[in-house]
Amino acid sequence: MDQKYLKKDDFAKFTEYLAEEYALFYVKKSGEDKLHIARYEGKDELPVVGCVRPFEPLKNFFFLAREKVVDGYGKGEAIAAKRKKPFCILGVKNCDLAGLSILDYVFTEGDFQDPFYIKNRQNNLIIAADCTTALDTCFCHALGNRHYPEKNFDILISELGSGYIVGHGSDKGRAVIDKNRAIFTAVQSYHLKERDDLRRSVGDKVDSNIAREQIPDSSQYKDIIKSNLESAVWSREADKCVECGACNVVCPTCHCFYLFDSSKGDMKELRFKTWDSCMYERFARVAGGANPRDHLWTRLRNRFEKKFDYFPEVKGAYACTGCGRCISGCPAKIDIRKVLKELVAEKKTHQ
Amino acid sequence: MAEILDVIEETPTIKTFKLKPERAVSFETGQFVEMTVPGLGEAPFTPSSNPITRETMDLTIMNVGRVTSRLHEMKAGEAIGVRGPYGKGYPLDKFKGRELLIVGGGVGLAPLRSLILALLNSISDYKKVVIKYGARLPKDIVYKEEVKRWKENKALDVELTVDKGDESWKGNVGVITTILKDDMGLDSGSGIAIVCGPPIMMKFSTFKLLELGFKHENIYLSMEKNMSCGIGKCGHCRIGPYYACKDGPVFTYEAVKPYHNIWE
Repeated sequence: MDQKYLKKDDFAKFTEYLAEEYALFYVKKSGEDKLHIARYEGKDELPVVGCVRPFEPLKNFFFLAREKVVDGYGKGEAIAAKRKKPFCILGVKNCDLAGLSILDYVFTEGDFQDPFYIKNRQNNLIIAADCTTALDTCFCHALGNRHYPEKNFDILISELGSGYIVGHGSDKGRAVIDKNRAIFTAVQSYHLKERDDLRRSVGDKVDSNIAREQIPDSSQYKDIIKSNLESAVWSREADKCVECGACNVVCPTCHCFYLFDSSKGDMKELRFKTWDSCMYERFARVAGGANPRDHLWTRLRNRFEKKFDYFPEVKGAYACTGCGRCISGCPAKIDIRKVLKELVAEKKTHQ
Repeated sequence: MAEILDVIEETPTIKTFKLKPERAVSFETGQFVEMTVPGLGEAPFTPSSNPITRETMDLTIMNVGRVTSRLHEMKAGEAIGVRGPYGKGYPLDKFKGRELLIVGGGVGLAPLRSLILALLNSISDYKKVVIKYGARLPKDIVYKEEVKRWKENKALDVELTVDKGDESWKGNVGVITTILKDDMGLDSGSGIAIVCGPPIMMKFSTFKLLELGFKHENIYLSMEKNMSCGIGKCGHCRIGPYYACKDGPVFTYEAVKPYHNIWE
């Protein structure tokens, strides 16, 4: 990766270019410590580049919360998202990129691909960034993810005190940097040292989170659900669950969707795809009322099973990126770190 | 879209819809389709007709839910949507030259009817075909006329049972496992059993078949779950590492037995 340096003062020129070429989305500071994804409207906006992942998972852009998938059933017409401009997302963190690789597996591999997802994945620009701090809930290292991106981006920006190191991860990213070559200068060795130091200190913070919460490493997760099918953890945690589905909504890898039909005037054949939640009572229920996961604790177990047994078996990867969103999103304070810790401990006692 | 050509009332709660899809549909016996009542929703069904017939397709459907109750009100001439086929059906190649035991329960005879018709297309390819079918009451038996013809067909050995008989019922009374015995004239060690019916019926039939000596890899089950997208994406029909819609709905007991709660 060729790397260039961009001074803080010149960053606005870069965002102006991006806003010209793309529908630009960036991470916006809201209140004291909230980070949200927002549409860039003009140069008064100050994008957060480093910091940590925003509240919203990246999947929103590709796997839409609600999307029309059929419009005129039987006429052979399928509709895919129509966008005037490709979009650019600035400030994507590595936990979200790890989540994207799970979604790519689900929607673009196998005998059938999802044309809507594929369409949404095309032509856009992903500008990733190093985390320059960590939240108390960050535990990406336990899942084998770093706190700075290494792949699956077009451009990577590492924020430093006085500027940014900018490098490309794809030909598309290289072309964008080339077009703006006038605003970049050469990276100096002290820039790289500053980045190394910062990466080390952020990494230490993530590691100290893991040590404090005693979160086991993913190398110990093999069969943790399979060997704990009847664990008391499930019912104890499920007793607190209010079935709001927030954990599914904020998760960067949750991809289950619900298809429903609707009609509008003469148009009797509309079908929509919306995010679904495996915590909902009707998720696995079949017509006639039989429900393989009637009890809430079996649905909670299913959620973990999908992430920690199913995906390793079919893809060789855990479908948890350690972003910690479900921990802060859960009104019942169900804590994935604690569940993992107990499951690993219980598995050991079984052995 | 598909036009409803005919509606046949099989039982008080089950109807067979004969459809003429806009385009001919090729399916393998045991694969399923998603059927749509326009504007209301869709539901998965395994066609009950002969797979060599491409111009029309039969779906035998029990009135149990939102979509099926509206469908049961529909008449010949109306249109419904069909997409598919999806999933993996019965591996007829593996059945050739073998003794087959077909075990059906209730509306579970629908996919099996398609299988039986497929077998009858080249019945000499199969060493023996034994059919055991159970229904709750005599009036709940589906394909009544056709079952009579199967009974008369020398190539098939058919036995029926009902959970509860009536004055006209001359056959066996008892659940399906009461007619799964070692006098079926099959070699259970090498025979293939194909089971389709309600989960509880499949569970006890499987246990009985294992007891009779059928091998785990020779028991084929219809593990129908909440198959929504049909293409292994939406997440609803997972069984262990499989999705019923793309890896099934037909699985061997060998494939699904390591996973929990398969009968629910």
